[in-house]
Amino acid sequence: MTRPSTTRLLLGTTGALMVGYGAWRILGNAQTTKPLKLGEWLLAAIVLHDGVLAWLVLGTGWLVARVVPQRARTYVQGGLVCAALLTVIALPLIYRRGHAAAGLTLLEQNYGAHLAVLLGIVAGVACAAYAVRVLRDRRQRVSSANERPPTDQTSPTT
Amino acid sequence: MLPDSPPRWWPAFDRRLRSEAITARVGRVLGIALGTCFVTGLLSHYQYHPWSWLPEPATPAWGYRLTQGVHVITGIASIPLLLVKLWSVFPLLFQWPPARSVIHAVERLSIAVLISSALVELTTGLLNVLQWYPWAWSFISVHYWLAWVVAGSVLLHLAVKLPVVRRGLAEPLSSDGGAGISRRGVLIAAGAGVGAVALTTVGQVLPSLEPIAVLAPRRPRTGPARVPINRTARAAGITELPPSYRLSVTGPEPFDLDLAQLEALPAVERHIPLACVEGWSVSARWRGPLLIELVRRAGGDGGSTVRVWSLEQRGSFRASLIRGSQLRAALLATHINGTRLSIDHGYPVRLIAPDRAGVLNTKWLTRVEIR
Repeated sequence: MTRPSTTRLLLGTTGALMVGYGAWRILGNAQTTKPLKLGEWLLAAIVLHDGVLAWLVLGTGWLVARVVPQRARTYVQGGLVCAALLTVIALPLIYRRGHAAAGLTLLEQNYGAHLAVLLGIVAGVACAAYAVRVLRDRRQRVSSANERPPTDQTSPTT
Repeated sequence: MLPDSPPRWWPAFDRRLRSEAITARVGRVLGIALGTCFVTGLLSHYQYHPWSWLPEPATPAWGYRLTQGVHVITGIASIPLLLVKLWSVFPLLFQWPPARSVIHAVERLSIAVLISSALVELTTGLLNVLQWYPWAWSFISVHYWLAWVVAGSVLLHLAVKLPVVRRGLAEPLSSDGGAGISRRGVLIAAGAGVGAVALTTVGQVLPSLEPIAVLAPRRPRTGPARVPINRTARAAGITELPPSYRLSVTGPEPFDLDLAQLEALPAVERHIPLACVEGWSVSARWRGPLLIELVRRAGGDGGSTVRVWSLEQRGSFRASLIRGSQLRAALLATHINGTRLSIDHGYPVRLIAPDRAGVLNTKWLTRVEIR
């Protein structure tokens, strides 16, 4: 193994010091930061992501690969990636809508309907891209069918 | 000793789509976003805890509007970015052997710190914008110190992975997907998702994009006088103004003003943006006497340090400190966008100064204290 470069040593040392500073201040102010509760959240974040969310994504991918025909697969996968990322942000908004204290101009939109429209647009774009692909495939097939050997190109009218 | 190959039940992944090329490219964008978020976060922290010898400047008036708008939008956009980044490296969770050496084990542990702190920091940040606090700790303290842990872990991670990052960025992105989406396709779809999230939320800062701010927690121009309310008079325990109301100015030559005297003071009108720590902001036309005129009348000057107090009996922001160029530019606003302040906007008078975090523009003023 080669010796790490100065850049990497500098980055690593700075990073470790910053982590240490943050952790030290969190632990040193236990009254306000509640390190044990925070620890539960930190652990739960990993468990929920690595143990649940990641497997849901893998499962969806597996299902798409089995159910969706090959030519459409790219567009379904792309659309799902885009839709999922929008949904992640929209879900807490949908859940919390109407929970803001009276008089605050907060969380007043119909996020469920908005998400539905956004997902509709994503689906529309994916379908349009797929349609373009189908048309291009068809044109290619037609043009390759027209490329016949020179002897075949005599027209019946001549 | 562990066997050379993993046991039969150990998860195995199709590595066709995931690659260093994707991880390095997503990681570069995520790193820039998190770095921007950290720096703008420090700037916001400074608004609340400035050094006495370097007060927050009054110019540019849109300074905090810009930095905090960027902070919240990059933070929100980092959530989908982080999920894509984690997807691209997920098989590494099941690498075999789990740890090759003590150093390798420590490195993997540092990645666990990075992932969990980043997930918690970004999620709780988003929930704070929604004013949803399903946790036991003080949001401000943990959000600030955990940010140091996240930023430090990112630097540490970069130090460890720098050669891999270089290799990944040098590797061309394949656009051949075989039976499905290609690597380029994944990046395009993820970019579209992250871009859509940013576009549909940034309208809470950028007035021109407000019409499409369909996922923004707040539409900034929906409140009374086209300015949102973040703390109502009711929440602050203020129902109506006592008849004995006075604005008292304390200093070497203290004096009191009743409501009629306050409203009779010579007023100026200024366009000053109101920018909230939650990321939304809106420009408004404010009218009222200049704070510095009252300070001078009470025996202070432009170099004074002034604390203003609200009628509010409790709450962390019932007082705020102002000095330097902000003190010289501040208004004691009685009017907003041409109408008399409503009780929720801080009637009878509130502080408003340029480049000042929203909540520090104290409402329902009752005392101006020259220190």
